[in-house]
Amino acid sequence: MLCVFGHIFMSLAAIVVALPIVIVCSAALNGGRTMYFPPEDPTFSRFGEFFFSEPVWTEALWNSVIVAVGSATLSVLLAWPIAYGLWKTGSRGAKLLAGLGSVPFALPPIVFGVGLGFFWAFLGGLGSIWAGIISHAVLFLALPLVTISIGLQAIDRAHLDAAATMGATESVTFRTIILPQTLPYTISGFFFALVLSFNEFIVMFFVSASAFATVTLQIFNSLRNGYTPTMAVAAVAFITVSIVVFSAVARWGDLPRLMGADQSRT
Amino acid sequence: MTVAGHIAPLAETPPALRPVFRWGTVASLLLWAIVLVLCLVPFVLVLVISFGHKVEGAGWEWAFTTENYLRFFVGASWPTETTFLYVTQLYWSMRYAVVASILAVVTALPFTYLMTRQSRRAQAMWLVLMLTTLSLSEVFIVMGWDIILSNNSGLPMLFAASGLTDWLKESGWFDVLREWGLANPRNVKFKTSEVATVLTMSYLVWPYAVILLYPALSRLDPSLAEAARTMGARPWTVARTVILPAVRLPLMGTLLFLFVFLLGVYVAITVFADPSQHTTAVSIYENVRGSTLNAPFGAAQSVILLVTAAVFLLLGQRLSRKSQGPA
Amino acid sequence: MSALSLQGICKDYGEARAVDDITLDFPEGQLTALLGPSGCGKTTLLRMIAGLEVPTAGTVTMGGRDITRLPAHKRKFGMVFQSFALFPHLTVRDNVAYALTIAGTPRAEAAERADKLLDLVQLTGLGDRRIGQLSGGQKQRVAIARALAQEPEVFLLDEPMSALDAKLREEMQVELRLLQQRLGITTIVVTHDQREAMTMADRIIVMSKGRVEQAGPPQEIYHWPASGFVAGFIGRANFMDGVAQDGKIVVCDVALSLPKPARFLNGSAVQLVCRPEGIRLGAAKTAVNGIEGRVTFVRDLGPVSDIYLDTGLGKLVAEQSADQSRGLAVGDTVQLSLPPDALRIYPGPSAAQAPTALAAE
Repeated sequence: MLCVFGHIFMSLAAIVVALPIVIVCSAALNGGRTMYFPPEDPTFSRFGEFFFSEPVWTEALWNSVIVAVGSATLSVLLAWPIAYGLWKTGSRGAKLLAGLGSVPFALPPIVFGVGLGFFWAFLGGLGSIWAGIISHAVLFLALPLVTISIGLQAIDRAHLDAAATMGATESVTFRTIILPQTLPYTISGFFFALVLSFNEFIVMFFVSASAFATVTLQIFNSLRNGYTPTMAVAAVAFITVSIVVFSAVARWGDLPRLMGADQSRT
Repeated sequence: MTVAGHIAPLAETPPALRPVFRWGTVASLLLWAIVLVLCLVPFVLVLVISFGHKVEGAGWEWAFTTENYLRFFVGASWPTETTFLYVTQLYWSMRYAVVASILAVVTALPFTYLMTRQSRRAQAMWLVLMLTTLSLSEVFIVMGWDIILSNNSGLPMLFAASGLTDWLKESGWFDVLREWGLANPRNVKFKTSEVATVLTMSYLVWPYAVILLYPALSRLDPSLAEAARTMGARPWTVARTVILPAVRLPLMGTLLFLFVFLLGVYVAITVFADPSQHTTAVSIYENVRGSTLNAPFGAAQSVILLVTAAVFLLLGQRLSRKSQGPA
Repeated sequence: MSALSLQGICKDYGEARAVDDITLDFPEGQLTALLGPSGCGKTTLLRMIAGLEVPTAGTVTMGGRDITRLPAHKRKFGMVFQSFALFPHLTVRDNVAYALTIAGTPRAEAAERADKLLDLVQLTGLGDRRIGQLSGGQKQRVAIARALAQEPEVFLLDEPMSALDAKLREEMQVELRLLQQRLGITTIVVTHDQREAMTMADRIIVMSKGRVEQAGPPQEIYHWPASGFVAGFIGRANFMDGVAQDGKIVVCDVALSLPKPARFLNGSAVQLVCRPEGIRLGAAKTAVNGIEGRVTFVRDLGPVSDIYLDTGLGKLVAEQSADQSRGLAVGDTVQLSLPPDALRIYPGPSAAQAPTALAAE
């Protein structure tokens, strides 16, 4: 009996969760400028506008991609030494460093955004795409930091001893044992940061200072004018990216484990 | 190469050790510098600027004045006139955040529990769904809910078309809804109401709740619940006496994390909340880059919001450390 | 001349001393077993030999040169770990060739050498398998092959059999010993299984609480244990507490003789040990150290039986062959004797340490 109730509950929850997403996706098919559900004059022309013809959107999309890929890469590059130091030494200093690196993600992003706005204004980078990339890299540092730490913890220390008895120095061990074995976790961290960067706009708002726009920022800026179906196309694009990325992580990595489940239970 | 072959060089090597050592320290110093500058300095700047002084136009200057904080607590024209406008905004920030996070956790808990009893593959699928929703930008989520709750084409229209509105009017429920601010004279309305705001915010953090509760619930030993059942406990009793105590601390931690997260929400508030019920986050936006342009004041509001968030975060950390307890 | 030797090695972890002043030589080409219960410091000692830990005090020398501070990756002693520590992201062949690969050996040569080693451990043809596809026994052979690939001067094994099941364990003990003898490589094996040590070792070092209790060939350890601990740890032993009196030992009012008069002060507390197979059942009433006993339990194991007895000296266990124990039943009264040369004597737990040395037999 409980099983039936449970299944109903979960299905209901799934429907509620999926509903806005489905609606937004279908709104992308609207023929006119208003967001109707169900869509009026269904057409795919909005997709064409978004990806090809309207420069506002194509530029924004390009910026989104640059910032997302750039910041995710930088985030992983920054997270690795911190996670490695934490795992190797476990010292208070290492813990402090990791904690500091996670602070921007833990606190309300609006404050970090305001602070970064001032920060880049002083450094002269306000409004440059590099400021955007670095800002997002730092904002999402916590993500690869966590996934890589999980990966490092999974390494059997006996493997490191074995490598040492076979002549491997620390750097050789890192290159031949640690990096390959933590590759899935590095990649997951990269993708998490990538997807979140795509969707973030508050920090980007303060850092870009109207000099450039990413897709979500563009939507955010146009909010006072209301939503348009072309924006819904962006939603479709981003949802697709998310699903693809996370499915890939689930397929090639161990997603439940990454999210904290026990290794032994099936 | 034999061990003996390595010995002779060793005796002369100590200087050779040092370059490696130095490279390591340089790298770690650099790392510290990067993290400190990028992660800490922005917050420090906000703090410093909150003591600054706004000048005419859109600018401000360095100063050390507490006028911004004063303004936050009692208004700009104090002592002539006292207004608690900004404090009220903070109140609304916390109110929305509390209600939404509780709602999210209460509904996410049974869901996550049921999820962890399923197969690993099913769990992976659910997690993909959760992660996708979670990573979805607030703008998109609000977009979706905007359509659903839109007065012209969303649920209200559904209510009217299906005759539900008329039924409500007849049964007297309609007046109740009007009192709650959920109805106009003609039809129910959801946009700009606390209900809509809280619902959307709750939806926003729901996947976070699932993901945060997941580790603790997935590690629950099923034999504990089974043992309780063999001793006569019915499902609700099992939930109350076996499951809930085991996840009490992760539950509190999740609530606190969601609360802090929701303090910073912007778009949902501007779209769904009545202007008189706006939050500090919205006000910060207005002051720093929006229409009122008072950066030092916005900075002061940010600091206060930050302090509020930090207090709750530390509480959460304290709790989670207790849960790892005297092991 | 010995290849490897330790002088005064100590290892402290904070307040706790895991290894206490150990001085040992490991003769070249021989297999030495470090034997002891868990926590006795044997694995710590092995890790210090490998270079994975640094001793708090003392020196490690190899061929006369001090290698105490030399890190593991420079010593390159081949080591087999308890969990085998095979790299899951590499194939069997790549695992075995690892030491060669990182030393810069060309791929083809490394692969060829790896295959030769796989032949040596009888895993021919498994080079392309992944670690997850191997059985426990196969994994152990890969670990052995991998450790030997770098042609180490010393071969170290940390409880190599503990991950295998019992039957396989016995087979592998013999195989490993034969392999070691064929290669003539100096080998040190850490184990808690005394049968394993007896099977494989040229020399056994019995350890307890960070110290060496006894070092010597297996037969010497078994027949002439140096302390009550060693007597109890290797094989089985009957323990009796007694008091020295005029050269004899009085246990529960029975005076037992030893081959030579015991050199303990009168009144000293001593401990007598007799192995179960040393007890003679069905002895004449007038036999030396004769006593009467009642059978309380018989464990018939097939070729031998364990006879549990209540005697005037306390509870004893005697081991008899199937012939000797035929017809014995619970409740029977038997005449038994403890021949003097089967007895070993040690200072009692709270012995007033007489200046006299332990009685040599």
